[in-house]
Amino acid sequence: MSLLHLEIKNLIIDALGLEDIGPSDIGNEQTLFGEGLGLDSVDALELGLAIQKHFGIRIDADAKDTRVHFTNVSTLAAYISARQAVA
Amino acid sequence: MIQFNIDSWRAWAPELARPNDWAHRSKTDRERSSSTGEQPDVSFLPAMQRRRLSRLARMVFHAAWPLAEGQPPLPFVYVSRHGETSRTFSILNDLARDEPLSPTQFSLSVHNAVIGLWSILRADNSEMTALACEGDGLQYGALEAEALLAEGAPAVLLVVAEEQPDAVYDDWIDDVPFSYATAFRLCKGHDWTLSRQTRTTHDEPYTWPHALNLIQVLSSQSSFCQNQGKGHLWTWQRNA
Repeated sequence: MSLLHLEIKNLIIDALGLEDIGPSDIGNEQTLFGEGLGLDSVDALELGLAIQKHFGIRIDADAKDTRVHFTNVSTLAAYISARQAVA
Repeated sequence: MIQFNIDSWRAWAPELARPNDWAHRSKTDRERSSSTGEQPDVSFLPAMQRRRLSRLARMVFHAAWPLAEGQPPLPFVYVSRHGETSRTFSILNDLARDEPLSPTQFSLSVHNAVIGLWSILRADNSEMTALACEGDGLQYGALEAEALLAEGAPAVLLVVAEEQPDAVYDDWIDDVPFSYATAFRLCKGHDWTLSRQTRTTHDEPYTWPHALNLIQVLSSQSSFCQNQGKGHLWTWQRNA
């Protein structure tokens, strides 16, 4: 697990108030929304906001592939790395 | 005048877990308890379900949940004068710092957020009402509950809860000596009479929370209490 992956997992736990869960309980490829971790649409908004604040990037909520980037921790890590490289 | 039974009750405040503690609570025990931030236990809910409960919501759930267990679906009358002031305060702080608002904080800052969560987490679609009636909320909540009983509800949960707000509110909010949640299960009967007189004096209404007066009566087996509201004097009389 890379540092970025760990950072994202901690952000998910803190921003969404996931008591009783540690970073090691979230798999890199585990689906975050619906199935898998079981997050919902309010979590998606909250996590989007937390990522923007924490990593200083902008996320276009209406962009077609935003949903794909939020699939799991690995896709988020790839997306955040790419956005940070641009900025 | 209305009559009903108080089938069961529970209350929570920081450091006051047992019913007996309430009987000995003195009215001089005014304290800034929120500095400790003590939260009641809601571990009967899975972590994924309790993650969005504010401290106020946790207090309500902790007090009311056991009263609903093993019961048929129950209408719920939720009373709070100051509601989710803590969430609102946090949102206002974000606004002042020009930061984006938390969707969770925003969506759960409304007055009926607690009953919405209650309805979802208990899978109970009974009628649920959120009231804010200055200092008289306990009594108006009881009137609402009695109306629901008259319509045929088997029992009604009446919950009065306040969270002590941030200290910046101290100049305006003087009726929350400490955070508390009180829950009463009301059903039809004649054990209790609640009556109302118009107040003729112009004294300031007493700021000690009415619900805590009632808890004191319930926990001490005394038979009677009077609550001064803004325009009314309310009398709770135990008949049995």
